[in-house]
Amino acid sequence: MLDLSDRALAVLLLAPAAILLSLIIVYPVLRLLYTSFFSLSLTSGLPAEFVGLENYQLMIEDPVFWETTWNTVLITLITVPGALFVGLGLALLANLPFGMQWPVRLSLLIPWALPLSFAGLIFAWFFHSEYGVVNDVLARFGFPGVIWFNSPNLAFAAICLTIVWKTSSFMALIILAGLQTIPRSLYEAADVDGAGRIRQFFEITLPLLKPAIVVALIFRTITALQTFDIPFMMTGGGPGTSTATLAMYIHQNTVSFLDLGYGSALAVVMFALSMCVTAVYLRIIRTKE
Amino acid sequence: MNEKISTAALALFAGMAAIAQPAFADTELKVYISSQHQPQVWRQILDKYEAANPGTKVSIETGGNTSEAQAQYLNTIMSAKDSSLDVLILDVIRPAQFAAAGWTSPFAGKDMSVYLPAYAEANTVDGKVVALPAFADSMFLYYRKDLLEKHGIQPPKTWDELTAAVKKINGAENNPELQGLSFQGKAIEGAVCTFLLPYWSQGKSLVNNGKLTFDKDAAVKSLKLWKGFVDNGVAKKNIAEVATDDTRKEFQAGNAIFAVNWSYAWAQSQGKESAVAGKVGVARLPAIAGGEQATCLGGWEWGVSAYSTHQDEAKKLVEYLSSKDSSKFMAVNGSLLPTYPDLYKDADVLKAAPWFADALQVVETAKPRPVTPRYNEVSETVRTTVNAVLAGVMTPEDGAAQIEARLKRILR
Repeated sequence: MLDLSDRALAVLLLAPAAILLSLIIVYPVLRLLYTSFFSLSLTSGLPAEFVGLENYQLMIEDPVFWETTWNTVLITLITVPGALFVGLGLALLANLPFGMQWPVRLSLLIPWALPLSFAGLIFAWFFHSEYGVVNDVLARFGFPGVIWFNSPNLAFAAICLTIVWKTSSFMALIILAGLQTIPRSLYEAADVDGAGRIRQFFEITLPLLKPAIVVALIFRTITALQTFDIPFMMTGGGPGTSTATLAMYIHQNTVSFLDLGYGSALAVVMFALSMCVTAVYLRIIRTKE
Repeated sequence: MNEKISTAALALFAGMAAIAQPAFADTELKVYISSQHQPQVWRQILDKYEAANPGTKVSIETGGNTSEAQAQYLNTIMSAKDSSLDVLILDVIRPAQFAAAGWTSPFAGKDMSVYLPAYAEANTVDGKVVALPAFADSMFLYYRKDLLEKHGIQPPKTWDELTAAVKKINGAENNPELQGLSFQGKAIEGAVCTFLLPYWSQGKSLVNNGKLTFDKDAAVKSLKLWKGFVDNGVAKKNIAEVATDDTRKEFQAGNAIFAVNWSYAWAQSQGKESAVAGKVGVARLPAIAGGEQATCLGGWEWGVSAYSTHQDEAKKLVEYLSSKDSSKFMAVNGSLLPTYPDLYKDADVLKAAPWFADALQVVETAKPRPVTPRYNEVSETVRTTVNAVLAGVMTPEDGAAQIEARLKRILR
């Protein structure tokens, strides 16, 4: 009897969270999946019609889908490791035992606290071919100015650089928290045993940081797959569609073209992509335990 | 205890009465106005309307600084069937889309013959009047009157003449800051017109009765013309970054001999902050050699939201906003082109904007962009391709092939 009431209590306590989550996560995801099997375009004036997998068929034949998906994967592959290395470096710097730590930590926080679209807008101005500070600096060193957003490769590089700048502070914050849980006594013992700085880093710091790094990587990879704001503000996907991401393409199809069926099908693909990545990371964590 | 309850009940009733009272007396209408089209001047018209209609309050909502941003905002509001907006201002390319989506209420039995024919047509979808004109607009060629006079050049009638004029003036002026021609190469709505101007000039149309009538040779020639301006130095190398308001600023700062722009650039080029006040001429856009001069029809329209809970009041307001008096007021006080043909000869209007006398002919011959509910997709295809060609990522031939392939898919 006591067991049952414990159980009832548990159910009662979990119910609000479970109901809330079903309403704001489970229901929309199922609804998205459902809509993706319909031809539903608000501009057609026609009612929704069940078309099975037709939206997915269209997607396979759609060159812009493949281009934007490839751009998204490329941004993830470049900016996630990029932000990890820069973030790790920043965290190690911020953890150095010197007197004035708060200015360093504050400057770590600022890029993280800045809204993504602001960062995109600021860097769009940095890289502007006529008024931008980047070309100004190049000119001072005697290099000719570059029209960054005229070339797919340069525009892509500028976007990746901005994303790394924006996201490495988030990495650094999580890694810094991890660094502070490592007991000083381990390093003191290593000193006594005669291990050098580099050896200490690889034998103590890095292994103990692994959980923090994996958590940071999960968050960063998911948000990288959903990259929207920075390329949207910097290039709008241009020149042509060469720097557009999958999230931008979903936004365009649903919000601009009002093609809710096709947009939903695209969003289902992005959801599946995010789930796969999460599953891989979760497995990594589990095997560690 | 009893006393407490009755006091509480009394307070509650009093509160309800206080809320309910003005709702019976007043109708509150909310009007969405694009922020670039002088909401402060429209406000004066709304004040007059409120004075003439006691019991009606009208408030303005603005948002987004480009046509695309505004369309995205309205798309979100309307697809949610939100009733908070009663009256909407719409770019001339949107009434067809809004009507197809069932977002605007038709005006039954409205006589459209008083307006310029182009606007009667743009606001009539499948025989129903879906919106009423707010103001007219089209693209013009702005030029530096002082520089052309100094070098003895007439305003160009063809793009070749324009190129020759730029060469002559640039050679003599020797000012590296002075561009020949500024136009829109960024992937924005203006770039659709960029593509269409020389395309139309060759006598071709893009869409006819909802069917694609794409002429590939004319498209290649159009893209080649603009890319040629980048390559031969008439336009600057980063033209793929230039949006409509960049063109306006560059011309206003005295850094361009010619500029392709809408009529709104006029008022600002004559303003206090302009380096070229009194030195600006406005002409019809040039033609491709052997072709006709063509321009892009602009302008904005007033629609009543299908989800508004004040249909009759909202329609009455829209009738007022698109009346001849309002059109004249906006021409005089906001230099927005009138939608009534005879206002172009009105003495008060011409006193405020003398060049309107020549603008009627341009607006009357301006061509509308394709009328289709899927216009946003057509626009996206054209403007990203123009942008890619101008950035040198794609050849004019590949660009034309891409436009054809994608438009076929959209308009099948």
